[in-house]
Amino acid sequence: MKRKYSMMAVAIAAVVGGTMVAPIAAQAAKPSITIWVDAPRLPGAKLYAQIMKGKVDVKVELHGQSDLVNKVQLFNRVKKGWPDVVFGPPNDVAVLRNPLINDAMALDSLAPASFWKGFGNGNNWCKADGKIWCVKNDLAQTVLWYDTKLFKDFGYTVPKTMEQFVAMGMDIAKNHPGYSLGALGSQGAYSSYLWPSQCPLNQEKSATRVVINGASAKCTRVATLIQPLIDNGVLSKTAPWDAGYIKDVGQAGKVVATIGPSWFGEFVIRPASSWAVPAGRIATAPMPMWPGETVNYSGEWGGGIYTVSPHSKFPKEALAFAQFMVSDKRNIVSVLNPDGSHGAPTFPAYGPGNALWHAKISGDPYYASDPFPAMLEQSQKIFSGEKPVRYDTNSAMEGTFANALSSSGKLSDAITAFTGYISSLAQQLGYEVTKS
Amino acid sequence: MAKVKRYKYRNTAMYLMLAPYMAFLIGFGLIPIVMAVFEVPQKSLTNQNGGWDAFKIVVHDFRFMPAARHVLGFMAIFVPLMLFFVLAMALMLDLDAGKWKKYVRLAYIVPASISGAVAVLVWYVILQPTISPIKMILRWLHITQAQQIWQTQNLVFILSLMAFFTAAGQWILIQYGSLQSVSHEIIEAARVDGCNPFQLALRIKLPLISKYVVYMGVLVFAGGLQIFVEPQILNQSVYQGIASAWSFDQLSYELAFTTGDFGGASALSILLLIPSLLGALIVIFKTDMFDDATTLHRKKVKKHGKMKRAEALS
Repeated sequence: MKRKYSMMAVAIAAVVGGTMVAPIAAQAAKPSITIWVDAPRLPGAKLYAQIMKGKVDVKVELHGQSDLVNKVQLFNRVKKGWPDVVFGPPNDVAVLRNPLINDAMALDSLAPASFWKGFGNGNNWCKADGKIWCVKNDLAQTVLWYDTKLFKDFGYTVPKTMEQFVAMGMDIAKNHPGYSLGALGSQGAYSSYLWPSQCPLNQEKSATRVVINGASAKCTRVATLIQPLIDNGVLSKTAPWDAGYIKDVGQAGKVVATIGPSWFGEFVIRPASSWAVPAGRIATAPMPMWPGETVNYSGEWGGGIYTVSPHSKFPKEALAFAQFMVSDKRNIVSVLNPDGSHGAPTFPAYGPGNALWHAKISGDPYYASDPFPAMLEQSQKIFSGEKPVRYDTNSAMEGTFANALSSSGKLSDAITAFTGYISSLAQQLGYEVTKS
Repeated sequence: MAKVKRYKYRNTAMYLMLAPYMAFLIGFGLIPIVMAVFEVPQKSLTNQNGGWDAFKIVVHDFRFMPAARHVLGFMAIFVPLMLFFVLAMALMLDLDAGKWKKYVRLAYIVPASISGAVAVLVWYVILQPTISPIKMILRWLHITQAQQIWQTQNLVFILSLMAFFTAAGQWILIQYGSLQSVSHEIIEAARVDGCNPFQLALRIKLPLISKYVVYMGVLVFAGGLQIFVEPQILNQSVYQGIASAWSFDQLSYELAFTTGDFGGASALSILLLIPSLLGALIVIFKTDMFDDATTLHRKKVKKHGKMKRAEALS
């Protein structure tokens, strides 16, 4: 009896196993690739799969941005499962191209030189050791977003320096309580203030050395200058998409201005589910200048990248997807998004793609004035000292930094806690941490 | 002859009943342990040359000592709290509470259904001064903002509370069950000798169920040492960063899935196995918890409680 059952089990296993083996042998001729993208990139990826039907089998999977680094460790253990091409957060490239992880390949030879030239400086983030390891989808340079109606009502002019920005904040607290200059949570404090001020937090100098120095004057000046705005509540300690902030400030139309990345307009300020600021009010301006500087640098908040796995059997086809996403009009201008809007929502890093996007956003009646010129100016001024690093600096910012800021309310404490944490993390991952 | 046949039948039945457990023990216990041992010396970003240094590296990890402080602090509150309250409640429940008894028993089991992720949500609401059902008490304690409560240094207390309310109910019932094994004759004899209920509980009942208490202590200890779900959920979705690598298990998880250091994660897991294993060995060899009926008979035990247990088993 027992034996009979076990024989049956073997038979069933053979049948199931057989059905799984068969298709692999049949389809060797046509290239097939697996793509991982996040939700904003999903419409473009699906469109690509449609376009390539018959030529390349494209399998599109929706994954959160933080999925890959987690999963790759497991794929590496079982030696299978790696997606061919992935959209991920910018810092991933440092982790993925590490020989022990080995899930990003050098792309130089897979695309013509003219493609790489089209980026100008836009793909510098992806360059290391003389090779190109990723394709930058978009630039997420910070600009000053402001509400032209509130500026007019309150009699403000666009601040050119950080001192003017802070003075405006002090006036808001005094004369227009409840109004806001934005939120510091998530990556806000880092991309909008610390990075533009050139505070050395992730300045990788080589594969074995990184500069992390929260005590640098470039960091302490941030803490000193904007602390009063935290104290009086003009700068919120939450994230800009915190439910309370959306309801009480964003949707109440109380954001006077905020320093934010180039995608803030389409993702945070405009959508009905977010701040839902009405049309005809929002404009952009260049970044305010930090005291004593000659360049008004930007930081970056995101600016995702495509990486191609060295395990891919069809790396050229995989890279072709990234090329489509950054250059093709059908993705950048026309593709229909679930919210009814069209085209890529973020500032393309690739020159020709950017030109297409420029035409789209400049003609958008939502904005009070063309938001593109300030974005273009700042895209050339992203401070290049900050680099991709092997430790998970973004999580530390959203964890350690945010936790310290919310518990003590002091930016200087948050910087100390954050730099202490990432310094230890960096050392553990084989970096020497230096102060300069 | 007939007796031999009966034993054979009993053995087959025993193996059949044991088989599912053994399958799970091997599949999810023993094989992973062996795999972990093989995983430790693998190369990783933190242990670039590979080798057994992984143990040293993980103990020297900058998050290891804080995690140790957190978990030990948590256990210093949680374990005694459990032992004291569970026994006190079980002993009280064992007093004749009349017709309400079965409803009271039910009341103990209810909180046990609120575990892990749900407990985090429940306690989030309870400790959120704006929506809390106990906001009067919170206000009386001058707590008006969630930030006053949800701080990393308070987590040992909050998590102890959470874990206590989650686990206490079922242990109260288990210990109540063990009290049922105490012979009525002994209780009667003690009463006749003039024992009051308090003395009865402390001098008669407690010593008779001591092995169950040790058993509970070990399980509670092992469970506490491996706390993971509550701080992890708090850290990822409720208050980001509040409990990052707060406990050993979280550190192990972070090593494996953020840093890709499976060797370090395995090394830490193996280190965590040792105290729990020691606890289990104590229960097996230093208490007579798992002695079977025949051994008990052979020992000619004096205590009626054990006799009763032996009868129940045979």
